[in-house]
Formats: sequence, structure tokens, C-alpha cells
Amino acid sequence: MSRDPANGPPGATTKVRPPVGRAIGPWLGVAARMVLGGVWLVAGLLKVPDPAESVRAVRAYQLLPESIVPTVGYVLPVLEIVLGICLLLGLLTRAGAVLSSLLLAAFVIAIAAAWARGLEIECGCFGGGGGADAGASATYAWEIARDVVLLGLSVWLVWRPRTPWAVDNRLLLEETV
Amino acid sequence: MSKKQSRMTKQANAQRAAERAAAVRREQEKDRRRRTVLVGAVAIGVLALIVGTFAFVQSVRDSAGEGAGQVAGAPDGAVDEYAVSLVAEGAAGAASVTVEVYEDFMCPVCGQFEADAGDTLREYAESGDVQVRYRPISFLDRASNGTEYSTRSMNAVGVVLDENGPEAALELHDALFANQPAENTDGLSDEELIELAVEAGADRAAVTQPIEDVKFERWVDDATAASQNEGVGGTPTVVVNGEKLEDNSVEALTAAVERAREE
Repeated sequence: MSRDPANGPPGATTKVRPPVGRAIGPWLGVAARMVLGGVWLVAGLLKVPDPAESVRAVRAYQLLPESIVPTVGYVLPVLEIVLGICLLLGLLTRAGAVLSSLLLAAFVIAIAAAWARGLEIECGCFGGGGGADAGASATYAWEIARDVVLLGLSVWLVWRPRTPWAVDNRLLLEETV
Repeated sequence: MSKKQSRMTKQANAQRAAERAAAVRREQEKDRRRRTVLVGAVAIGVLALIVGTFAFVQSVRDSAGEGAGQVAGAPDGAVDEYAVSLVAEGAAGAASVTVEVYEDFMCPVCGQFEADAGDTLREYAESGDVQVRYRPISFLDRASNGTEYSTRSMNAVGVVLDENGPEAALELHDALFANQPAENTDGLSDEELIELAVEAGADRAAVTQPIEDVKFERWVDDATAASQNEGVGGTPTVVVNGEKLEDNSVEALTAAVERAREE
């Protein structure tokens, strides 16, 4: 069970890590998990009560074909909640971090696209959405900045998924999922 | 000689032992990896099932277009289901230009648009060659502290439209913007809505119950869903002969109507 480089097979799973990464890396990972998990959980919980509104928020971006808009509107809040719980628990951290990265990248693109096309819509990031918002343009930049920071945390977790206080440590023996 | 041989044998034995140990470790490594992938795959499968199930629950809970138990269809007097026309349909038959205005009674920019362009729209309607249609929608329900003012106010317009026809409904429409509550307040109470409906010419006894019961909730939901299928991303949206105005100023409106008249 030891992951000590001295006992492990040479070059197989254990890597010699940079001292900085070894010192603060795991705790940065825990912090990233808590922040991301909390954000996803809250974002999902706020959207779940009103599926119609969630569908409208997706539609307002005018990016997806109408045939899949409702499905995305239904799946997204649930996915966000499950993803949030997984990250908070440290369950399947790498897979969750990959999903988190993909979603955030998609959101950044969607907001940027709305901005570029001059759509004045609400983000719908934390519930609400689907509506016009006269001041929306002013908030796009900040929304993108926020998502980019969260994206950075997600990418960190893809790179270093193993952190203390995580279910993964009991469930998984390797650092692959 | 024998000493040397024995040393070589020892070395060879040690090497073989090390190789065997390494092979065992590699095998263990592989097992661990396999177990991790298996456990991970099972966990992902279970989570995907959970997401799928709850997403389905969401789709069942989505009442848009179904109207949550409400059975009333469109109010009598509505044009093309969802519109309140500024002139009687008969007179508008000759109109060559159609102006459609999508509004939410809670939307402050709509209130501003009405203050700026309301008179112009009425002049157009009176001139007879422009048909002006209001398309109330309700998407700002969350901006009224849970009282769903957008839906309640639009329902009140539907009730008056149903009971008293478009003229009274337009009176109420104007009164709702003249008395527009600020966003993120409770909005007007049902009593206040009834009061404004009565001032617009409705019979108190006839409109009280349907306003309190949100009789036309289904119509409100359907109208809102329909507007989105028509590409309305927010309010106010002004459409002149099928073309959405980029800018909702009076100048842009009159320019678009002039262009449409000349076509």
C-alpha cells in the first residue's frame, strides 16, 4: 500500500514530485475541491426547483438546436449537483475535474458568444435566466473571469487528483480515475 | 576458481530473485490498476444512472406548455392565441405593417419603452395602416420575491381580455406600466390588480376569482414558451413586419415602420 518512492517499483506509479507540489499541492487540491464542489452544488440546487426556467436559460443563449435544449436544461442542474457532491467528497476526483473543466469551458464559450453577438441575457449560472437583462453586457466579463478561475482549479485537480480527506483514497488504489 | 564460480552463481541467483520479485510487483501493480478502473467504472455508471433518473424527473416536473393543472385556454379576445391587439381585428385587416411588442410587466426597460413609445404606437394603431400587437410574456417571476408578479399581472390582463375585450385589457396594460413596481419587490398585490382591472372597466365580481386563482396560468406559460420559440431572448422585443429591432428607441421604431410602409 505504501506509495513511498523507495518501495514502489521504479518508474511505475510514483513520480518524484517537485517539493512545492508536495508541500502545498494536496491542500491546494482540497481547497480546489471544496470551492468547486460548493459552487457546483449551489448552482445546481438553485436551478433544480424550476426546470422550465432552466430550459429557458439554456435556450436564451441561442447556441444549441431546439431539439436538445430541453434535455440540456433538465440534465444540467442534476449533473451539477452530483458533480458538486463528488468533488466535495473527493469521489472520482479526476473524472469529476475533467467534467468540471469541460462544463466551465463550455460556459465560457457560451457567455463569450452571447457577448460577441450582443445578446443581453441573464447568465442563468445560478438559477434564473432566460430573460433579457439590460445591464447584462457589463456582467459578462466578470462571469467569464469567475469561470476561468474555476476552470483553473478544475485543471489543477485533473493534474493532481489525489488529495487528503477524499473518498478516493479508500476506494481507489491508483491515480487513474 | 570454485570461489569465483560460487560468486557468479550467487550473483545470478540474486538477479533472478530480483527479477521474480519485480515481476510479482508488476503483476500486483496491474491488479491494483484493474481494480481502480473497475471501481471507477462502476461508480461512474451508478452516478450516470442517478443523473439520468433525476433529469427525467426534471422533465416530468417541467410544466411549461402544460399549465400545471389549469385548463383554461386562451382568453376570448386574444389574437393569434397570445396577442392583445391595439385595434379591432376587422379594422386591422387593411394594415400593411405589423408591430409586435413582447413585454413583461415586471421588466423596467419595458416600462421605459412604454413611456417613450406608447403614444407613437397608439398613433400608429389609430392611423389604421399599422397593426400593433402586444405580446405579454412572463419570464421575470423570480424577480418578485416569490409572488410571481409577472404571471399574476399577465393573468390579470388575460382575465380582463376574456371578460371585457381588448380595449379594457389595453387600459389595464397601460395602468400596469404606469404603476409598475420595482424589480425584486413583491409587485402589486392581487387586490391592487383587481382594483386596476376595475378602473380599466372590468366588473369586480367577474374578475376577482379568476385573478386570485390565476385562471390563465396555462395561457401565460404557453405564451412565454411560444415567444421563445419565436426567438425572443428578452424584453422588450419589438418586431416590425417580422424583423426584430436592434435598438428599442422611438427613432428606431419609427424608422423601421417607415421602411415597412414603403415596402
